[in-house]
Amino acid sequence: MDYLWDFQSILNNKQLLLIGLQNTLILAVVCLVLGLAFGAIVGIARYSRNPILYWPSTAFVEVFRNTPVLVQIMWFFFAFPIISPFEINAFTAAALGLTLNTIAFSAEIYRAGIQSIHKGQWEAGKALGMSYTQQMSRVILPQSIRRMIPAFMNRAIELMKMTSLASVIAYGELMYQAKVVSTIEFNPIEMYTTVALIFFAIIFPFTLLVQRYEDKQREKG
Amino acid sequence: MTTVLSIQNIHKIFGDLEVLKGIDVNVEKSETIVILGASGSGKSTLLRCINFMEVPTSGRIVLSGKTIGKETAGKVIYNEAELNALRTRVGMVFQHFNLFPHMTVRENVMEGPRTVLKCDKDECGRRASKYLDKVGLGWKSEAYPSQLSGGQQQRVAIARALAMEPDIMLFDEATSALDPELVGEVLETIKELADEGMTMLIVTHELGFAYTVADRVLFLSEGRILEQGTPAEVLVYPKQDGTKNFLKGHGSFRLPEPKLD
Ligand SMILES: Nc1ncnc2c1ncn2[C@@H]1O[C@H](COP(=O)(O)OP(=O)(O)OP(=O)(O)O)[C@@H](O)[C@H]1O
Ligand SMILES: [Mg+2]
Repeated sequence: MDYLWDFQSILNNKQLLLIGLQNTLILAVVCLVLGLAFGAIVGIARYSRNPILYWPSTAFVEVFRNTPVLVQIMWFFFAFPIISPFEINAFTAAALGLTLNTIAFSAEIYRAGIQSIHKGQWEAGKALGMSYTQQMSRVILPQSIRRMIPAFMNRAIELMKMTSLASVIAYGELMYQAKVVSTIEFNPIEMYTTVALIFFAIIFPFTLLVQRYEDKQREKG
Repeated sequence: MTTVLSIQNIHKIFGDLEVLKGIDVNVEKSETIVILGASGSGKSTLLRCINFMEVPTSGRIVLSGKTIGKETAGKVIYNEAELNALRTRVGMVFQHFNLFPHMTVRENVMEGPRTVLKCDKDECGRRASKYLDKVGLGWKSEAYPSQLSGGQQQRVAIARALAMEPDIMLFDEATSALDPELVGEVLETIKELADEGMTMLIVTHELGFAYTVADRVLFLSEGRILEQGTPAEVLVYPKQDGTKNFLKGHGSFRLPEPKLD
């Protein structure tokens, strides 16, 4: 194979790709922020012994953990508008699928993190007269969040990669823009190589950061 | 004399195991009561029923004249806010200290006054300094618990409980997790509290300490108070076989010889 690589056609479409990258980042950040925030609520509900909190949150987590994200995104884009009165655009469908998925996974991270704290910590708070909410917010979460950070960062990395699935419903993120450009310019080799490199450049530093953090935690023991 | 705490006919059942079978104790102001008993006799459960870490199956707890819970149709209903308020007035010290590892020593001591009692900044600071000085650890204010010895950690835990300015303090084997050379400093701190007139219920296996610090000793056996009295009555002249056997098992403890007059 003596294929002549030609990145000129990529540079010519720089603007389209930058828009795509921007949309990718918007989607990832929105889903991450919402996913982590609501994940805390679902995770705490999962930890609860109250059946009214436990069962719905557990059902939610299991549904979203045990179905493919691609199916979830397609479902929200194609099926949800038919059975509900809401109009849904590609961004909303993708954001819904990815956010709910992130909620489900981060809920499990919160739950495991909370569970990893010794029960003596709850008791110490309780013995001081703290309410359940105070025990959780003052004693349990501040300690467990530190242990959760690597798992959350791994989740963020997963999420960043999963945004490319939104291309199937024509949300203009990086992958979709690349597909458009490559069909116009007939340069799939350069195009998809470029996309891979961009993702790598964004994600790899995070991966290194997680490794550094975990090594540090291990040193601390 | 004023009664600080009245424990009335407390029963506690776990599943089909009745751990407390009707306990009655009145604790007077400034009294130091030591609770002894074999492992599994229900000592911890009794302490934990007083501040409702465990809810008693039946019976009553009266703290400073106020009965906890509302009786309706023969059942006692406890409300969380009431129990939390009760817990602010009962200090508890645990075997494993349970300090908050993410807070400094000073923050540990301020946490209760700040979060629960909503004291203002000056008051929180005043209490932290006062009670850390009392346990001799003012100079460790900015350290984290992991940087302290076990004995120091337990003294911080005592300061944390004292900072709530409770009506009564409960100690559940406060020195059992400590290396032998660190036991003394914690017992010394507890002894000082006793001398200052703090009302206390102390579960311990340190019989020598029990003898010197207690106004009254209760001996618990299978969920009942088998014997009680002054330290001399229970530890030197026990009447019940159960108590005698327990004391024999603690051979290393040398009590004053019974007087033969
Ligand atoms: N939450 C619980 N659920 C079930 N059983 C319990 C619970 N807590 C205590 N028990 C049981 O109650 C009995 C008394 O326990 P407790 O901890 O009060 O004894 P103790 O006198 O403090 O013993 P030790 O000297 O070993 O601390 C034991 O048989 C214990 O297994
Ligand atoms: Mg015990």
